Amino acid sequence: MLKPWSSAGARCAERRDGRDLLRKYVRESNIVAKGGPLDAKGEALSTGHTIRADVCVIGAGAGGAVAAAELAEGGMNVVVLEQGHRHDPDHFTARPPQMLARLYRDGGQTLTLGTPPIMLPLGSGLGGTTLVNSGTCFRTPPRVLERWQHEFGLDVDEESLRPCFERVEQALSVSEVTPKLAGANAAVARRGAERLGWSHGYLRRNARGCVGSGVCAFGCPTSAKQHTGITYIPRAERAGARIVTGASVGRVLVQGGRADGVQARMLSGASVEVKAPIVIVAAGTIHTPLLLARSGLGGRSGQLGRNLSLHPATAAFARMDEIVDMAKGVPQSFYVDEFAGEGIVFEGVAGPPAYAAMSLPLSGERHAQAMADYRHLAQFGLMVSDSSRGSVHSLAGQTVIRYDMDDADLQRFRTGLRRMRELLEAAGAREVYLPLPPGIEPEHARLRDLKLMAFHPLGTARADARASHGVIDGDLQVHDTEGVYVADGSAVPSSLGVNPQMTIMALATRLAFTLMGEEIPCPS
Amino acid sequence: MDSLTEFVRSAPAPQRAGMRALIALARRPRGRALLARAGAADQLAQMLASLGRYDDPAVARALGWDAEAVVKRGRALRRAEGRP
Repeated sequence: MLKPWSSAGARCAERRDGRDLLRKYVRESNIVAKGGPLDAKGEALSTGHTIRADVCVIGAGAGGAVAAAELAEGGMNVVVLEQGHRHDPDHFTARPPQMLARLYRDGGQTLTLGTPPIMLPLGSGLGGTTLVNSGTCFRTPPRVLERWQHEFGLDVDEESLRPCFERVEQALSVSEVTPKLAGANAAVARRGAERLGWSHGYLRRNARGCVGSGVCAFGCPTSAKQHTGITYIPRAERAGARIVTGASVGRVLVQGGRADGVQARMLSGASVEVKAPIVIVAAGTIHTPLLLARSGLGGRSGQLGRNLSLHPATAAFARMDEIVDMAKGVPQSFYVDEFAGEGIVFEGVAGPPAYAAMSLPLSGERHAQAMADYRHLAQFGLMVSDSSRGSVHSLAGQTVIRYDMDDADLQRFRTGLRRMRELLEAAGAREVYLPLPPGIEPEHARLRDLKLMAFHPLGTARADARASHGVIDGDLQVHDTEGVYVADGSAVPSSLGVNPQMTIMALATRLAFTLMGEEIPCPS
Repeated sequence: MDSLTEFVRSAPAPQRAGMRALIALARRPRGRALLARAGAADQLAQMLASLGRYDDPAVARALGWDAEAVVKRGRALRRAEGRP
C-alpha cells in the first residue's frame, strides 16, 4: 500500500506524530546546551571530539542550508557539516579559470562516463551549487507533481507546496529580471522568439540589487545573488546553529534502526563525531547516495545511486550586427519555452571572453576571427529534459558517474539545435555557430558529435512511497531507518524540465516544518 | 600561479594529467603537428589555450571586458550597502 506523502486529512495528525517523535529523540539523546560557533575550518577540533545536537545536517547547499535555518530558528540545536569552504566575496575575481578552480568541486571538471562524456559542474562550499548557478527560480511544474502522485505515490500538489515556495521566494527575494538588466544578449533571443511567435519570457531569479555583473557562475562580486551561503546559512548561525566547514563525512551512524549521528574527518585530519537523533543528508545528488551506501543505508530497494537524471545542455553562438557585450547583464535572464512539452527549453547563457572562448565551437583562424568580434557575439543555451538515466557509484574510493544518452534525447538535441539556429537567424544573426563538428547538420548529429555539459542532477536516492521502489519515503525519510532524511536533489524522483533549486528548497522547508510539527507560516 | 595553471591543478587526477600533456604538446611545433592529426585532442588543447589567452586582463579589456572593474564595483556596492 502506498504511504501518502502528506494527504490533507492526515497532515495534522502526522505533524503531531512528527513533533512527538522529535521530542522523544531529543529527550533520549541527552542534548547539551547550544554552543557558540565552531572554528570556521574546524581546526580547533581535536580527534575524538564529540558534538551533541538535535539535528546534524550534512551539506550546506540548496537543501541543507534551508533545513538547517528553519530548524535552528524553530529552536532546534543544529550542527551543519560542510565539506567545502566559506567563500569570501572579496576573493572573487570575475575571472573564469580562477573561479572554476576555487568555487567548484574538481574545478568544475566533474565528468560523466558514457556516450557522450558530459561535464557536470558542481559548486563547492557554503551555498553548494547555489553559489555558482545562474539563480533561475522555477516552481515545480504541476505536470511533474501529477507524475509524482501517480508514479511514485507521493501525495503532493501545487496547493500543498505553495506555502513552501512562497516562504523560499520571500527569503531569497525572487523576482523577474527586467529587460534592461537582462542586457543585449537576452534582447537578441527575445527578438527571435517574437518574430517566430514562440512562447518566451524573462526569468525569475533570486537576486537583490543586481547590477548585471555577468558572472553569476563565477562568484557574484556584488553579493546580489541570494545563494544559500549568504541567506539561509547566516540565518541558521544567528539562530545558534553551528556551521563546520572542511568536514568530510565518513558515514551516518545508526543504532537499532535509528539515526545516532555522523562520523566526519576534518581537513586537519582530526576525526569528529556528531551525536544526533536526526540526520539530514544533503550532500548533493552525486554524493548523497555514496554516503548512504558507505553507511549501509537505503540499499534495500536496489535503487540507491540509480535513476540519475540530468539536464544535458549545449549552447550556440551568433554573430550579430549590433554590439551585444554578452557579459554585460544577467547571463541567464530569458527563456523560450515553446517546446517545453517536447522536453526542450532554451535559456540564456553568456560570460566573459575566457568563458566564450572556451565554449565557442570553432577552431584555428575561425575561432580567432570570431573572438575578435566578441563584442558582437550572442549566445543562447539549449537544455533537454532527459529520458536517459544514469547511475552513481564508488570504485576504489573514486566517484564514478555513468550516463549514456538514449536515442530520444539525441533526437531532442537534433530538433533543439535546428530550432536554435532558427531562433538566432530570426533575430538577425549574420552567422550562427552550432556546437557541432564542421559539416555536420543537426539532423545528422551523432551522440559523439554533441558538445555537452549537464546541470541539475537529480534522483539517485529517489522518493517513492513504496520501500521496494525508492530509497526514501514520502516524508523524505530513508525507508526502514528512523531519523535519517534526505533533502537534496537526490530525493527528487524525476526530471523537472526546469532548474531545480526551488523544488529542493521547498522540499527542505517542508521537511523542517514536518519535523517540528508546525504549520508553515504564511510570509508576511 | 597563473589562472590556467590554477584551473588545471584543480581538476581530478586523470583530467589534470591529460591537460598537462596537451599543454606541453601544444607548446612544441612537433607536438602541434601531432595534435593536428587528432581532432578531439586538438580541440581540447585549443580550448585550454584560448581559456588562458582570453583570461589575460589586457586581452579581455581589448574585447570590452574588465574583470578588475567588475570586482571593484562589486566591492564598492557591498561596502556601501552593507551587503554580505
